[in-house]
Amino acid sequence: MIISLQNISKSFGANNVLKNISIAIDKKECVGIIGPNGAGKSTLFKIISGSLFQDGGSIIFNDANIDKLSIEKRSRLGISQSFQSNSLFNEMTVKENIMVACSQSFKVGWELFKSLDKRTNIITKSYEIAEEVGLTEYLDFRSDNLSYGLQRQLEVGLAIANNPSLLLLDEPTAGMSNEETKNIVKMVKKLSTYYTTIIVEHDMDVIYSLAKKIYVLDSGDLIFDGTPNEVKNSKLVQERYIGIKQ
Amino acid sequence: MNAVQYDKKLRLQLFIILCCSAIFVNIFGDYFTRFLLSEIIILSLFAMSLDFLAGRGGMISLGHAMFLGIGAYSTAILFINFNIDPFLCSLLAVVIGLIIGYLIGFIIVKTDGIFFIMITLALGEMFHSWAYTNDFLGGSDGISGILRPKLLGMDLNEPLFFSYYLLILLILVYAFLAAVTDSPLGRNLDAIRQNSGRVLSLGGSVKLYKSASFGISAAIASLAGSLYAQLNGFVSPEISHWTVSGEGLIMIIVGGIGSLSGAILGAVVVHIIQHEFSKLVDWWMLLMGGGFILVVLFLKEGLWGLILKFKNYIIENK
Repeated sequence: MIISLQNISKSFGANNVLKNISIAIDKKECVGIIGPNGAGKSTLFKIISGSLFQDGGSIIFNDANIDKLSIEKRSRLGISQSFQSNSLFNEMTVKENIMVACSQSFKVGWELFKSLDKRTNIITKSYEIAEEVGLTEYLDFRSDNLSYGLQRQLEVGLAIANNPSLLLLDEPTAGMSNEETKNIVKMVKKLSTYYTTIIVEHDMDVIYSLAKKIYVLDSGDLIFDGTPNEVKNSKLVQERYIGIKQ
Repeated sequence: MNAVQYDKKLRLQLFIILCCSAIFVNIFGDYFTRFLLSEIIILSLFAMSLDFLAGRGGMISLGHAMFLGIGAYSTAILFINFNIDPFLCSLLAVVIGLIIGYLIGFIIVKTDGIFFIMITLALGEMFHSWAYTNDFLGGSDGISGILRPKLLGMDLNEPLFFSYYLLILLILVYAFLAAVTDSPLGRNLDAIRQNSGRVLSLGGSVKLYKSASFGISAAIASLAGSLYAQLNGFVSPEISHWTVSGEGLIMIIVGGIGSLSGAILGAVVVHIIQHEFSKLVDWWMLLMGGGFILVVLFLKEGLWGLILKFKNYIIENK
């Protein structure tokens, strides 16, 4: 097991956003988290990444308690994330974006001399990542000049730059055309063979094609978990999430 | 905050042109021209320290003149009270500026935007008030009797040699900052300026990077302060007044924030305008203010942007 969420709860004022959620994920597993708007998916995602802290419960990552660790410390331990809305370095090229991300994993971010452009290990790694996320042709493009779909690919590229043990993808296909969605699904499918992956996604087809196990949240409760087929056939899920009355 | 377009070659070309101009002025100028040149080089160092901080790390300091003061007073105290060699005084002033800058940076870099500006302003004014009322620092009269170094048998009290000495230091600081700008730290500062949250999520030590850059910038401002004390032979609290920081910021905005060479060009233009216009008319500050507004409105990348456009125009019409 790589990560275990034990009785996680979170409230905003009187609003209980998460109620005693427990999830355990094995190495190299690709899991999906789904639920209607307001189910608590994004809050749970932020609690795992360290952007938010839970009110109750614990998170065990690689047998260590990471409850008190900040986002950057969790990232250094190997929890990496891509954001729902693109969070790139817009004045930089694709190559520079990835190189800056790699400088963290190579632990040279504080070094004062030797240009980043002349560090062959980082350059090589950047090319590998660009290839993995299908951006080799766009290395010298400024990231704000890329199409939305390519920016989403770069977003994932930054997330995998530090060889994560756990990759968190927050709605990787949000706002994409069908063609772009196909590309990113293909890419994530490949990545999920190397990395333990948690995907939060609205698009059920995407989740069904990527996740081996799906957790369904509703109003802060974990109402169901199972394989894609089990989720598809669950009356409870159909009723509460997909909205089909039996 | 945006920085200017990154063009390493043009940055170096502009720097070489400015250095050659300085050498020309030093050879053919008189005593007063050389003194003006020395002032400009020292202000260029100060402007570069601000440019590095604002252009790379997106931190706008309105209290950076405090480090000019720290450098100048350190030099004065070390020389007058401890009889330390003036060159060594400057080196120690850099170390003192670096340490104080890093420690202050470590505390204040958690803030950004208007809060960072206000904290630096408050710190600068605290230092200024302290220096103004402190008897050990000479109060409002300051400290006088600071001498320039003697290096390799050359007496730097001779203006020609002192200007060359300053120019060599300017070249060294430029080379250092250019290297840091292209280094992993420099690129990470760029990234932090654009999206600090993302650097954090990538595992970057945002606080460490920003504190280090604040320390580096403070060390360079401190060097400028030390040299200013040696140029004038005395130091007074006015060196650390917030308006001096404001003038430094005007220089980098006029030159083009983040261009390094543009900061030097900004220092040249602003100081010459101040120096020459103030002789011609009493209302020169009105002219300066008007010129500054025009630059902000129509030249967002400052004079650097203008030079860049000119270069691109030439390339396109070749």
